[in-house]
Amino acid sequence: MATPPESPVEEHAYELEPSRTPKPIPVALEELCRQTKFSKQEIRVMYRGFKTECPEGVVQEDSFKDIYAKFFPHGNSALYAHYVFKAFDVNCSGAISFRELLVTLSTLLRGSVYERLRWAFRLYDVDGDGAITRQELAEVVVAVHELLGRRAPPGSPAARLDDAKANEQVDRVFRKLDLNQDGVITIEEFLESCLKDDAITRSLQMFDSAL
Amino acid sequence: MASVAAWLPFARAAAIGWVPIATHPLPPPPVPKDRRRAEDEKLLINVSGRRFETWRNTLEKYPDSLLGSSEREFFYDEDSREYFFDRDPDIFRHILNYYRTGKLHYPKHECLTGYDEELAFFGILPDVIGDCCYEDYRDRKRENAERLMDDKLSEAGDQSLPQLTDLRQKMWRAFENPHTSTAALVFYYVTGFFIAVSVMANVVETVPCGHRPGRAGTLPCGERYKIVFFCLDTACVMIFTAEYLLRLFAAPDRCKFVRSVMSIIDVVAILPYYIGLGITDNDDVSGAFVTLRVFRVFRIFKFSRHSQGLRILGYTLKSCASELGFLVFSLAMAIIIFATVMFYAEKNEQDTNFTSIPAAFWYTIVTMTTLGYGDMVPGTIAGKIVGGVCSLSGVLVIALPVPVIVSNFSRIYHQNQRADKRKAQRKARLARIRIAKASSGAAFVSKKKAAEARLAAQESGVELDDAGRDEDIFELQHHHLLRCLERTTMKVKVSSKPDHVTRSPTPHEYDARASHLQPLLDV
Repeated sequence: MATPPESPVEEHAYELEPSRTPKPIPVALEELCRQTKFSKQEIRVMYRGFKTECPEGVVQEDSFKDIYAKFFPHGNSALYAHYVFKAFDVNCSGAISFRELLVTLSTLLRGSVYERLRWAFRLYDVDGDGAITRQELAEVVVAVHELLGRRAPPGSPAARLDDAKANEQVDRVFRKLDLNQDGVITIEEFLESCLKDDAITRSLQMFDSAL
Repeated sequence: MASVAAWLPFARAAAIGWVPIATHPLPPPPVPKDRRRAEDEKLLINVSGRRFETWRNTLEKYPDSLLGSSEREFFYDEDSREYFFDRDPDIFRHILNYYRTGKLHYPKHECLTGYDEELAFFGILPDVIGDCCYEDYRDRKRENAERLMDDKLSEAGDQSLPQLTDLRQKMWRAFENPHTSTAALVFYYVTGFFIAVSVMANVVETVPCGHRPGRAGTLPCGERYKIVFFCLDTACVMIFTAEYLLRLFAAPDRCKFVRSVMSIIDVVAILPYYIGLGITDNDDVSGAFVTLRVFRVFRIFKFSRHSQGLRILGYTLKSCASELGFLVFSLAMAIIIFATVMFYAEKNEQDTNFTSIPAAFWYTIVTMTTLGYGDMVPGTIAGKIVGGVCSLSGVLVIALPVPVIVSNFSRIYHQNQRADKRKAQRKARLARIRIAKASSGAAFVSKKKAAEARLAAQESGVELDDAGRDEDIFELQHHHLLRCLERTTMKVKVSSKPDHVTRSPTPHEYDARASHLQPLLDV
C-alpha cells in the first residue's frame, strides 16, 4: 500500500526533450548554383528567409501548413498543403531540406513546360503509382476548392451546389485528360492532353518569372 | 506580414498545380514598374553610441512603425550616413529584435514606464508583445495603474481638505479619519474607552462576590451591586446611542450606512438595553431577558473600528468563505460517517454512552479535533479501531484548509501595509518635490533680479567688473521673455509660489522701471 517516495503522483514532470537529430548541413552554395538555375544572390536571399523561418534546416509538414494558412487565411489549406508537401518531398523523408526546395523551385520557375507538367502530374498522383485515378483527381480538386474556403455552411443548398460544381469540374477535366477512357490517366496521356491545350500551355508559361 | 514574403516564390510555384484543372486561362502576373533594387542594403542605426546594422528589408517588415516608414529619414545624419537616435540602447535592442524575429519581448528588469515610452517613440503598440512576456507585462502595468490611481485618489482626498464647509461632511470625515482633528481623536479615544468599560462590566458582573444571604451558593457581583452596574450600563448605552445617532446624521448616504456591517453591530450592541427597559420584571419573560444580555457581548465587535488588524481578519474570513465552507462541509461529512460507524460498533456494548448517532456526534467531534475529553470512550475492539482512524483523519481534514486561509490573510495584510507605506512615502515625496520647486523658483527669481540689475547698471553707464560672466543663453532669453510680459501686463512677478498671484508694482518701483524707458520713448 505504501508508494515508494520517488514516484510522482499525478504530476507530469517536465522532462527535457532528448537532443534532436543533428540537422543536415546544407549543400554548398556552389553546388546548388550548379544544380539549379538560380544565381548565387538569389539563392542567398532565399536561404536567409528559409533559415529565419526554419532554423533546423528542414521544413516539417506542420510549418508547411502554417505557411499556407498565412497565404490563404479564409479557407482550409491543410489538405492542399499536404499534397504539395508530398510533391516537394522528393525522397519521402517527411521533411523538405533546402536542397529539395530549391531543386523543385528551379524546375517550376525556370524549367521547361515538360518538367512543370511532370511535377503537376506528381502532385495529382497522390499514391505515387504512376497513374491518376478519378478518386485522386477529385481529392486534389476538393483540396484546391478548400483553399478559398466554404462560403456556405455544409449541408445547405449553396454548399451542395458548390459540391456539384466541383464534381462537374472533376468529370470534365478527367474526360479531357483521359484520352483512351480507361479510367486512369497515365503520364503520357497527361502530357499529351495538356500540351495540346493552348490555355494550359499559356498559363504554364506565365510562371516564367524572377523571384 | 513580411515573413510571408519570404515564401512567396514557393507559393507561386505551387500554383502550377492549379493549371491543369483550371477552366479558364489564368491571369498574367503583375509586372513590376521599375526594376526593384536587386541588392538588399544594410542600414546603420546609431542609438546613443551603440551601433546596430540590419538589412533594409528587415526594417520594412512593419511599415507602420517609425523605423519601417519614411519617418526614419527625419533622424538621418548626412555626415555619418547613419540613422541616429538619442534613446536607450538597451531597450532598442529588443525593439530591433522585434523586426528581426517578429516577437517583441519585455525584459523583466526594465522599468515599465521607460519601456512604454520607447515603444511609443518607435511607433510600436504594446499589443504585439509575445505570449512569453505578455503576462508579466500586463501584471506590471496593472500594478502601476493601481499605484497611480491610488496616488490620484489620495491626492484628491488631500486637496478636498480645505474645501469642506458643511458640518455634516466635517463630522463624517472626523468619524472616518480620527487623525484629521483633535476633536475627532478625542471622540475616538472616548468611545474606545467606553467600549472597554462596558465589556469589562459585563464580565465582572458574573464574578462571585460573596454568599447569598440565607441561602447556599455564591452571589455574583451583578446582583450585589445592581444599581452600580445598571448606572454603568446606562451611561455606556447613552454614549453608544449618541455616537450612532451622530454617525447617522453625518453619513452622506444614510441608506448605505444603515446597511453597513458596523452600523448593524452598533444597533445590536445597544438594542438589548432598550428592550430590557421595555420588558417588565415578569417571570415568564425573564428568561428572554437573560438571553438578551448575551447580545451585549457583541459590543466587543465595535472595537473593529479601532483596530485595523481586526478589520483585516474579518475581510480575510469573508474572502476565504469558500475554503471555510469546504472545511465545514468536509468536517460534517466525516462526522456523520464516523458517528454512524461508531454507533453501530458500540451499540451492543453494556452501559454504553453511544445511545444514538447524534450522541456519537459529540464523541466524533471531540476526537477529530484531538481534544479527547474522555467522557465517551469506545469499549469494543472495533470501536477502538474506528476511534483511532477517526482521530488520524481529523488531523488531516482540519489541517488542509488552514494554510490557504493563513496565506490569504498574509497577502491581504501585506497589501494593506504596502498601501500605508506608499501613502507615507508619497507624503514625503510630495514634500521633497515642493521643496525642490520652491528652491529652484527662488533661485530663478534671484537670478532674474540680478540680470535686471546688471542690465539697469549697463544702461546707466556704470562699468561692471564681472562682465565676463557667461550666462546661459536660454536663461537670458527666458528672463527677457518675462520682462516683455511684465511690460505688457504692468505686473511684477515677486514670489515663486504658484498660487500667489503676481502683485502690481508699487508706484516707486514702477517709476524706477519706467525711468530708463523714458529716453527710448523720447526718440
